[in-house]
Amino acid sequence: MGIQFKNVSFTYRGIKTSYGALNQINLQIAQENEFVAIVGHTGSGKSTLVQHMNALLLPTQGEVEVLGQTLPPKKNEKINHLRQKVGLVFQFPEYQLFEETILKDIMFGPKNFNHTDEEATEKAKKAAETVGIGPELYEQSPFRVSGGQMRRVAVAGILAMEPKILVLDEPTRGLDPRGRKDLLNIFRNLHETEGKSIVLITHDMDIVSEYAKRVIVLKDGAVVFDGTKEALFDHPRFDEFHLELPTPLKILKHLEKEVQLPYQPQYDFNSLLNYLKEVQHE
Amino acid sequence: MNNLTLGQYLPTNSWLHKVDPRIKLLNLVVLLVAIFLVPIRSSTLTPILSMLAILVLILILTASAKIPLMKVLNGLKPIVFLLTFTFVIQLFYTQSGTLLFEQEMYVSVTSIVAVFLFLVFYHLTKRRIKFRTTYFFLAVFMFFYLQTLLPYIGLTSYTMKVYDEGLIKAGFIFLRITNIIILTSLLTFTTMTTDLNYAIESLLKPLKLIKVPVEMIAMMLSLTLRYIPTLLIETEKIMKAQASRGVDFKENSFGEKIKQIISLLIPVFVISFKRSEDLANAMEVRGYVIGAKRTRIDEYHLATRDFLALIVTLLVLAAMIYLKTLL
Repeated sequence: MGIQFKNVSFTYRGIKTSYGALNQINLQIAQENEFVAIVGHTGSGKSTLVQHMNALLLPTQGEVEVLGQTLPPKKNEKINHLRQKVGLVFQFPEYQLFEETILKDIMFGPKNFNHTDEEATEKAKKAAETVGIGPELYEQSPFRVSGGQMRRVAVAGILAMEPKILVLDEPTRGLDPRGRKDLLNIFRNLHETEGKSIVLITHDMDIVSEYAKRVIVLKDGAVVFDGTKEALFDHPRFDEFHLELPTPLKILKHLEKEVQLPYQPQYDFNSLLNYLKEVQHE
Repeated sequence: MNNLTLGQYLPTNSWLHKVDPRIKLLNLVVLLVAIFLVPIRSSTLTPILSMLAILVLILILTASAKIPLMKVLNGLKPIVFLLTFTFVIQLFYTQSGTLLFEQEMYVSVTSIVAVFLFLVFYHLTKRRIKFRTTYFFLAVFMFFYLQTLLPYIGLTSYTMKVYDEGLIKAGFIFLRITNIIILTSLLTFTTMTTDLNYAIESLLKPLKLIKVPVEMIAMMLSLTLRYIPTLLIETEKIMKAQASRGVDFKENSFGEKIKQIISLLIPVFVISFKRSEDLANAMEVRGYVIGAKRTRIDEYHLATRDFLALIVTLLVLAAMIYLKTLL
């Protein structure tokens, strides 16, 4: 189960040109307990890849298996229901808001999947609570709240469908540091308390090192690395991926070079601090 | 939606591409007037022959502009239905001259059923046929042919009479529409939208005397054209985002569809307002003042070629006026 890519290629077709966005992708994402970061340069196929996960795009070659259903679908096979099970949050999701009130907008998803108004309201309230939208905002227009709140309302719109797997395309883009941290903690909470698999596209290596467990590196539409973040940052050919090191590792490398502090990878600032204290005591 | 190209400019770099856009637009207007000046007379062959002559001229023009004939014919495709419809109407409506062809047509239970079944069959199969236009002509023919075949359980019958004057008139109108379409698309094939915009702006300049804000209209026009592809890309993004929330423009019922279209329209409106605000700021920051005199990076100067082109079209117009006095 989960999501499985088998030799998937995808080509965007223009009038005369065609552009191969994905090339022979093979990977598997389990339904539970995964926190995957997808990294790679602009145009490396990250967005195209995640749009296959909820059947927005169908592979031109190969097969994707999403929660037991094979894509491209056979004739007369419906694929819409997959979008409830794999929730996809796009870049700048606040642009998809359209309802009069925040609560109604969050209810839109569940209602599309044939939930009654009561059920949808209940799910919407729960999702709003998860992302920290209080009841005082329910009846406000989604266009009259701050950018960070709009982003959270939009995310709640996806969470309210109660997807089994949550896919996020650069969820923190354009947010201030505080909003970024809040949003990522929401995702981490979901992952830790409900065991939901989370797939996240990002350019920010600090996010990768602090939150993700597994990293997939894309380059020119192909997977060039798939493994734990520890293995990635320790990779002998790390430079070839053209990625930056996360800040804690940069600091440690610098300290190693300048004051010969023994290099021992730490992936977030708290563990970095603990490590430094430890060294100090010795 | 990615395949959409706005305008159909073909950069073949022919002499027609180099003609000043203002002159090209003016020439188009003159030629269209000339085409409409030819009187519809079915008693003589002169009008249809002059229409045919114009068509030949236009085709020569197309060839000299190095525009592939297939492109031109493709431009006619959207109006094939209109062309056929007017042709058929004119053919049967005009009932004078010598009789060419007569056929008893039966409106009977069997023929109505047969025609109905055939139309259903046509609609179901037309998507799979490659030569759709040819198939359409065949369908029109079958529509009438079936009526002659099945007189059984008849309700009523009528006689289809085709006269030579009907044929001339139908052919004339057919040719006139074709000429207009090809001529207009020739302009868009050889002129970039920015140049066309410039042409409209400078040809409308006299209107400034009566305080029409010509530059503003031209700027609005060019910005609109510029932003259509951008908005389409945004629309596609929103469509995908809403599809991720369960909107399915294929699998749902009609009542749900209306709600779903609203979920698409409102975000697109919000985005376009936001974009236009950003654009207005960006323009002002770069010194755009409404109504102020602006200079252009490319100045057009009329060349001998332009005057020649104008003279030739004026001659065509004169010829058509002369023809009108003759008839």
